[in-house]
Amino acid sequence: MSAFIKDLLELQFLQNAVIAGILCSIASGVVGTYVVLKRITYIAAAISHCILGGLGVARYFSVVYDLPWLRPVYGAVFTAIASALLIGYISLRAKEREDTVISALWSIGMAVGVLFIFKTPGYNEDLMSYLFGNILMVSREDLYLIGVLDLVVIGLTVTFYHQTVAVCFDEEFARTRGVAVEFYYLLLLCLTALTVVLTVSVVGIIMVIALLSLPVAIASRFFDSVWKIMLAATVLGMLFTLSGIALSYTPNLPSGALTIVIAGAAYFLTLAWSSLRRSKIQNNAPDASS
Amino acid sequence: MKIDSSPPVVRFSDVNFAYEDGNTVLENINFSLDSGDFACVVGPNGGGKTTLLKLILGLLKPLSGSISVLGRSPGHSQAQIGYVPQFSKFDAGFPVNVLDVVLMGCLQRSFSWGRYSAEQIDKARAALEAVGLKGKEDRGFAGLSGGQKQRALIARALVSEPRLLLLDEPTASVDVHGTEQFYCMFEELNQKFTILMVSHDVGFVSGRVKSVLCVRKTLQIHPVSELTGEALQDIYGVDVNIIRHDHRCSDKGHICPHS
Repeated sequence: MSAFIKDLLELQFLQNAVIAGILCSIASGVVGTYVVLKRITYIAAAISHCILGGLGVARYFSVVYDLPWLRPVYGAVFTAIASALLIGYISLRAKEREDTVISALWSIGMAVGVLFIFKTPGYNEDLMSYLFGNILMVSREDLYLIGVLDLVVIGLTVTFYHQTVAVCFDEEFARTRGVAVEFYYLLLLCLTALTVVLTVSVVGIIMVIALLSLPVAIASRFFDSVWKIMLAATVLGMLFTLSGIALSYTPNLPSGALTIVIAGAAYFLTLAWSSLRRSKIQNNAPDASS
Repeated sequence: MKIDSSPPVVRFSDVNFAYEDGNTVLENINFSLDSGDFACVVGPNGGGKTTLLKLILGLLKPLSGSISVLGRSPGHSQAQIGYVPQFSKFDAGFPVNVLDVVLMGCLQRSFSWGRYSAEQIDKARAALEAVGLKGKEDRGFAGLSGGQKQRALIARALVSEPRLLLLDEPTASVDVHGTEQFYCMFEELNQKFTILMVSHDVGFVSGRVKSVLCVRKTLQIHPVSELTGEALQDIYGVDVNIIRHDHRCSDKGHICPHS
């Protein structure tokens, strides 16, 4: 731990990692709250797996045709938004078989990504860092991108807070009030897509969904309004990612995986604590009445 | 109070509706609802009661025929309708307090920025008082009882000061005693609003409502006093047993007071 703090003051890649963890936690705390309340974790997971396709294709063209400006993350943003809009369109227009289409997109995106990464000359270690995340690889440019996307997420959430909460709570009623429900639903999916792209750099495609949902699941046991849960989930997300980075540093463990294990442990501890408290209240109740 | 020349609040002329699978739900519906009415829509499950409400709200479009709501086409009069959807569809644990639920009724087509105005908050408090939830503003919605949740949703519909109140099975989650209180509240609200509600409990409604619309693909209007066994059979299409409260059972068998 002391080695981590000493290196943190000197090594830029470690500072980048810490800043990335903090910035990502903001977006994932805010958007994760929507994802959990609107019950679209499955859609968020599908978007995150689709991203591999965009990453793979962008990296392939970048390497093979020598296009240094074409960074994989651009491919990721494009794929994420495209798949979010496609899934949104399908779930708004054709209510049935929504899950089948989502599953298909999920695996097709991954398959395309694996094919392109396989055919890209050079080392293929990137595949592993996309799947499981490698926060120590985050560059200064990545940080700017993450910062901008954070501002977009916060700006849109503040602007449309009441509308988006109303749509999450009761879509049909919001529609009868003239609220553009379909617009807000697609907006939420796009915010989810952008957040997923950011979070992939921290914990990787496969574990994104845990970082989106676990802090919210814990926070919603303690707070009863949407914005409080957003704030609490953000703080918890920071706590989990930073402790993940710090604790994985000296033993040289993959930080993404450790972050998720810490978040998961915290979640189950919360569950155990609240069920213990509930049984305590139930046990005490007869005594109080007698 | 009522001006004779004022158009009916809701008017259906020769309305037909079918879902995409071709299943006809409503056939040749004609009725009008006057200002100040308290009408109850009854009928079997799948008979088209909720469909009727959604047509009025403009959430569904009729296959043929015309609907006018407050003198306009359904989509255009939404702002003047207070809608209370079926309660069972809600996420019971949603993290929101009672006042914020009611304030959702203030949302409009035109986008408004930032916080709700002091005037809107005053209206929301008044609406909560009207449904008997004064003092519960800061309570979590998730922690309310079924009946209280239902009242909060009614307050949410009232806050936009609608001219027509549409309620979809508002007493489904309320016990018998609570149901009676709900109808007292509806009677009071009816002084200000025209009410159209969907309900299962026919017998209980009849004492309070002014007219009953019986929907089973087609629609028939029964004045309340005429809601007899034959009328019920008409609605449900099968023999319906009505409980006779003047008839007692004992271990010796059935004893009718008049026999």
